[in-house]
Amino acid sequence: MASLPKRIIKETERLITDPVPGITAEPHDDNLRYFEVTVEGPVGSPYENGIFQLELYLPDDYPMEAPKVRFLTKIYHPNIDRLGRICLDVLKTNWSPALQIRTVLLSIQALLASPNPNDPLANDVAEDWIKDEEAAKQTAKKWSKLYATPKQ
Amino acid sequence: MGNVPTKLDDGSYQGDSRTNTSVSSSSNSNTSAASSGNRSRHASLVNAILNSGSGGAMGSPGHSRNVGPYARKSTREREEIKERHAKNLVVKYDENVDGGFMAPFGCYSFDKLDYDSGIVRGLIVNRKLAPFYTPLQDFDDSWSRMEIIKIVDGLPLHASFNENPEEFEDVPIGNLRKPNFDYLIDKSLPKKEKRRLHSKIFQARLYRKRMLWQEKANETFLEHKIEARKNTSKNKYLPSDDLKYELYKNGSECPICFLYVPGPLNLSKCCQQPICTECFVQIRRADPHFPHEEVDPTQPVTDDSEKDPNLLISEAANCPYCATPDFSITYQPPEGRRTGLGGEPPYKFTSQSQSAVENSEKHGVLTKESPLVEGDDLKPAKSVHVIMSDTIRPNWEVRLNKERMRLARRSANATAIHVSNRLIDPDYNNDGSGNGDSSPVGTNTSNRDRSDVTIEELENQMLNEAIRLSLEDKKHSSSRQRK
Repeated sequence: MASLPKRIIKETERLITDPVPGITAEPHDDNLRYFEVTVEGPVGSPYENGIFQLELYLPDDYPMEAPKVRFLTKIYHPNIDRLGRICLDVLKTNWSPALQIRTVLLSIQALLASPNPNDPLANDVAEDWIKDEEAAKQTAKKWSKLYATPKQ
Repeated sequence: MGNVPTKLDDGSYQGDSRTNTSVSSSSNSNTSAASSGNRSRHASLVNAILNSGSGGAMGSPGHSRNVGPYARKSTREREEIKERHAKNLVVKYDENVDGGFMAPFGCYSFDKLDYDSGIVRGLIVNRKLAPFYTPLQDFDDSWSRMEIIKIVDGLPLHASFNENPEEFEDVPIGNLRKPNFDYLIDKSLPKKEKRRLHSKIFQARLYRKRMLWQEKANETFLEHKIEARKNTSKNKYLPSDDLKYELYKNGSECPICFLYVPGPLNLSKCCQQPICTECFVQIRRADPHFPHEEVDPTQPVTDDSEKDPNLLISEAANCPYCATPDFSITYQPPEGRRTGLGGEPPYKFTSQSQSAVENSEKHGVLTKESPLVEGDDLKPAKSVHVIMSDTIRPNWEVRLNKERMRLARRSANATAIHVSNRLIDPDYNNDGSGNGDSSPVGTNTSNRDRSDVTIEELENQMLNEAIRLSLEDKKHSSSRQRK
């Protein structure tokens, strides 16, 4: 694909002119389909005060195909594995071309607020989560502090 | 789904190693036996059984006279179908409906345009689906009439082609006028390699041909536009200035491609959201898959050949906006703008006639607001046609069944190869029963007792497998006849 589809251009523009609170997404200079993303941990969750780095890539068939998103920051979450891959329906079978970068990132933020250990990607984390939720949340908090605290 | 037309056999079938895509589709049992080299005679026996099993039910191989969706098509036939389809996707200025066209502008890649182009063209001419419009990248409400007309005059028929796409780099295409391009393929190559090359060259040639066809259509369009400007004699297929203005002044942005297109757009039946036709033809079923397949990247992917092929499913596409199943749209054609095929010549269109209709339309809206006014203005709401996503890709059932058959054959092949290997070497895969499972052949029968199986039992297994295959094929062919 030589030229960038209008949809991607417009989405990028709108992300800049009308940003989502708590989320940033900036395209890479060399590849306008590749975005550097940050998501703030939702208030009230173990990830509160954490700022998580992600990468987002729009494949050739976007928007008919879902964007590829991955956490770069280490995170303790039952639906996110060690490699940062995310188990989220809208990134897979429930993707719809009417969704956008913005909506996907909001869904990811919502996933941080409400983990789903019954549909795990990181099995060990999910097990901990089911066995002792409080302890698991403490670990998540600890990891957030350790890995997702913005450097001053 | 009554009779499914034999349209556009898409690439899914090509990956089938057992499909005879080669020119010589006869005597396949012999060649495959020979290729298995020094295996015992049992290997050839297995192949012979399998081939006669599937071949027999599919109709005699080599004679693809039989029609029907499951009939095995020759490479030639499939390529002809693809070429016809590609021709249907050329945008021609004189094939227009209400100011739009019969083929997409080219926002999405060619291999995603695998819808039934014949059906879509029919729906557009019958005003049951919005035509494909040339989109604008942006629209500004402050544009004057003159500015809009000037912009529309400069619009191309089709998005520009990438002259040298990466995937066809270094692929020879030969002389496009000659239908035969076998001379481009080194005859000393193995059969499989030749087949792969053939398909690649065909694709590269088709790409080039599409480009030339569209360029020719563009040139004709341009020449006729210039002629029409010079002479006073009008070209009846070209739009009048009034039409250009009417089209684009009241357009809107499609929520999926974000491009600005003339209205009215198609509306989703469930939630009344707009979608342009170019995006609508992109909405399709997912490929046949196993239900509730938990794609867990941390686990090794379970081989599909281990699952029962009959469990494969295919679900109708959901509405992209509200996720209602069985996505379908409705379309209300513009009342005052019936031009082109099945309407008045586009050059004749005037805003006069338009404004007259617009007035009546406004009245129509008014009367509609006051309830229970009898609809004597020939606008029965019931006449709205619903176009399902499946309507424009009716071959989904054939694809599903073909995929099931393909998997069934593949697993049978794996079993057969495994069985024949054990015949040669009784210790085959027997030493490391724990870690030997990594071999795809081994996993297939890993749950069976390997050590004390006699030759007779193996023969029986092979026979059973072959019979099962024949039955499966029979089932398909008889269910086809029943329909």
